[in-house]
Amino acid sequence: MKESFIELEDVSKTYSGFPALQNVSFTIEKGDIFGYIGPNGAGKTTTIKSMIGLITDFEGSITIEGKQMPSQRDQIHKILGYLPQKVSFQEWRTVDHALRSFGRLSAIEEDILEERIEEALRLVGILDSRYRKIKNLSGGNIQKVGLAQALLHKPKFLVFDEPLSGLDPASRYQVKEIIKELSRGETTVLFSSHILSDVQDIATKIGIINRGKLIDVGSLEDLKERMKVPKVIKIEFYDLVENTQDIADIEEVDRVEGQDGFRLNLYIEEERELSQASKEILKKLVDMDHNVKNFGPLSPDLNELYMKYVQESDVA
Amino acid sequence: MSLSILFKDELQGFYKSKVMIVLWIGLPVLSILFFLLSPDTGDELPLTVMTSLIVSSLAGTLGAVMLAVSIINEKGSKVYDLFLIRPIKRRNLLISKFLAVYVCIAIAATISLLLGLGVDYYRFGGIPESMLSSTIDSIIISLAMMGISASAGVLIGVVSPSVLVGAVLVIYGANQISILPALTVLVDAGHERIFSLGIGILLTVILLLIATVLFNRKQF
Repeated sequence: MKESFIELEDVSKTYSGFPALQNVSFTIEKGDIFGYIGPNGAGKTTTIKSMIGLITDFEGSITIEGKQMPSQRDQIHKILGYLPQKVSFQEWRTVDHALRSFGRLSAIEEDILEERIEEALRLVGILDSRYRKIKNLSGGNIQKVGLAQALLHKPKFLVFDEPLSGLDPASRYQVKEIIKELSRGETTVLFSSHILSDVQDIATKIGIINRGKLIDVGSLEDLKERMKVPKVIKIEFYDLVENTQDIADIEEVDRVEGQDGFRLNLYIEEERELSQASKEILKKLVDMDHNVKNFGPLSPDLNELYMKYVQESDVA
Repeated sequence: MSLSILFKDELQGFYKSKVMIVLWIGLPVLSILFFLLSPDTGDELPLTVMTSLIVSSLAGTLGAVMLAVSIINEKGSKVYDLFLIRPIKRRNLLISKFLAVYVCIAIAATISLLLGLGVDYYRFGGIPESMLSSTIDSIIISLAMMGISASAGVLIGVVSPSVLVGAVLVIYGANQISILPALTVLVDAGHERIFSLGIGILLTVILLLIATVLFNRKQF
């Protein structure tokens, strides 16, 4: 059982009477990578800003490593790293100057600051831009300077608001690897994203928010389970299967959907365990002399799941 | 600790900015130009007096505009987000900016006044005591006026939604209120220097206090 690191209890926030957040509650355990997803204007950034102390007039309670936000804001800020959706620096700063200032403000000792700056810039891949003015860098590289300042003081808790938007595919892969690596080192990460495949790739826990309300929280498997996603096995045959009746008659199979005679989707009865049923079905197909080319569970991606959640919450 | 880091940072930012270079060179040049082009001054009016007038009216306004515009822009582009999530006091962001600009405009004013004194020393073969005394008066009034203007610039920067509104408020608000320390000369109540300085410090502190309270309450 992992240690609970962050707790939100009934957090609400209104903007001129408009409810931006309504009783949002969730917990994040130490070392988790929490993917926070939802449509535009759903309340992701408001939640994040409340958690990091940029918004302080929310209702409810936010506890981070046992400390209350905003009353113990200074203590929380010592362990926090943050990358905003659109990072911005004062125009006259060079990369080195910005990181040096942020490092000092984060209380990094002067004798290790140099080493930390180099380490952070190397990690995000812009060491060669160290002495360039930030305003002369590309948008993607400015975002990487933002990432470097967030990592500089090795925070225990990292918050990224849409960290991957504006990055090219190689940089996105690189940032995802950095996040995974940090999580292995027990850093707790919360990130919001519109790119659901990225969330699916790295998040150990996912929170879905819509219209200021948290719809569900859990691992991808938990969410699938709760949404009663059908268990489906996708099979590809070498030979054309003209009659699928014998396959439909297999005990574990609920129904069969064919695509072109070479490929079939087998829907498993809800109460059956997928891996056990798969084993049985494959055995029976071989016994029936079917030449199976590919066989495996058809897993719905986060996209489908997300759409289902959002549509259901919109209807509700 | 954070205040000194932020102050050094802001100082570096402002003194490197083109506006400040223009101010440091432009203010003395402007004083000399006004002096040379003014038809009514004659030979008797010292340059120091002319410089004091220019410095009092321009330096503070420029400082206020710089502060207000800088804060409005940085608020709008979310520059403060990366500062406010660090273990620093919010008020230090504003105070460091105020101090940095105040130091920069005070240096610009000092350069101008020293230049005026130098030219007058050359013209009159020395500095008469009365001129020295009025120069000290001018320096005190200028410092007080610049303090009020700059702190008003900070407050306007915090409350203004746009650069345009900020600029209008600086010109019609900060500029007017900053004249208060100079009024002590008109009333001739004695201890003018103390009164000017006192009014300057008091108003500066009040305006900065209001600005920091509002900034602390601000939701980013």
